[in-house]
Amino acid sequence: MTSSGALVPQCHPEIGCITCGDEGVAMRVLKLDASRALAVCVDGAGSTSEVDLGLVAGVAPGDELLVHAGVALARLEPEAPA
Amino acid sequence: MRFVDEFRDAELGQVLAGEILSVVEPGRHYKIMEVCGGHTHSIYKYGIDDLLPANVELVHGPGCPVCVIPMGRVDDGIAVAHEPGVIFTCFGDMLRIPGSDGTLLDAKAEGADVRMVYSPLDALRIARENPDRQVVFFAIGFETTAPSTALTLKRAKAEGLENFSCMCSHVTIVPPLRALMESPDMRLDGFIGPGHVATVVGARPFEFIPASYGKPVVVSGFEPLDVLQSIHMILTQLAEGRCEVENQYRRVVPYDGNLKALEVLAEVFELRPHFEWRGLGFISQSALELSAAYADFDAEQRFPVPGVRVADPKACQCGEVLKGVIKPWECKVFGTACTPERPIGTCMVSPEGACAAYYNYGRFARERELV
Repeated sequence: MTSSGALVPQCHPEIGCITCGDEGVAMRVLKLDASRALAVCVDGAGSTSEVDLGLVAGVAPGDELLVHAGVALARLEPEAPA
Repeated sequence: MRFVDEFRDAELGQVLAGEILSVVEPGRHYKIMEVCGGHTHSIYKYGIDDLLPANVELVHGPGCPVCVIPMGRVDDGIAVAHEPGVIFTCFGDMLRIPGSDGTLLDAKAEGADVRMVYSPLDALRIARENPDRQVVFFAIGFETTAPSTALTLKRAKAEGLENFSCMCSHVTIVPPLRALMESPDMRLDGFIGPGHVATVVGARPFEFIPASYGKPVVVSGFEPLDVLQSIHMILTQLAEGRCEVENQYRRVVPYDGNLKALEVLAEVFELRPHFEWRGLGFISQSALELSAAYADFDAEQRFPVPGVRVADPKACQCGEVLKGVIKPWECKVFGTACTPERPIGTCMVSPEGACAAYYNYGRFARERELV
């Protein structure tokens, strides 16, 4: 979710408050840059962005991460719903 | 997408709604607070409240980090943004939060270089690209967002970037919850715990709620089935006479949190002695400031900051909304003088704010509340 530079607030009722407090986004790892602890990830809508991996160890391409404000907070673990 | 679609299954939602109905006691009124603004947003986006029995009431809590920023703090940000040579960066939601004399967006229109970013790491990139300018990041958010700011500051320090600084307004979730629990007008039966804050801090910090106040807490995910299942778990605890912290969001939240993130937070931040919350007043040790090791990156030390406390507009009842004492539509200016286009109060600005969530999803009808 790299900023386009345009000053358009992206907080939209359909998307939610992507920039603020508690919103995390599920993203899949496409490519790793291990030396800089960064990865290129894609979200459900198909947009890609650079994600900091400083807080989650042992990330591999294909992993699903919970990303917030450009940083991976957790690796998503498979679990059936209700 | 995995981890998303399977938690939006409408048939499973109906099954869960039936299970919820089977555990509620007829004649008893249940008040459950969703602490986090992200849950408020999910509840109205997916119409979750329409699936609940009429005697289960959801109360919106203080967990929108934009909504709790007081006007004086916005004024401080605007003052720094007007400093010569400054590029002021912040999340999109902050741009429209009213200070005592306009918003950051107004400051931009007046010539200040205010830029929206999605991550503090974007602000760092702007600092690298503009070595002759001072780049300030207005850091807001709960423990979910604070690690992102912390990692950014660690990178800034490692790179020796002298033109980057941070105006830290990060807040922590437990002190306002404790303040709410102590409030005499609060009558709640249980809490939907903030799932993404818990990704960082874990579920353990919420144990004081059942231990000291006798209310169940279920840390919840944000998809509709997550929220429904969490409500079912809370009601089941109440039906069985149990009272504990449960973790519905196990696919993301370890009970003890993200230890690496907690380590980084402890290195970069320390607790402020006190911080003002919109509508809740001053709460001790409820916000973060930069630690001594990172004091060089503190924008409040680098630039003059007015630091003047500004009372909230009289017409605005964000405080009562944040405490769950009134519903958004009970505020005198809801949907009339205060709309998402021209907000008076912060709860109308961010989609996670209870008022904006009501407004955006057409919740002007009061039938449900009158049942």
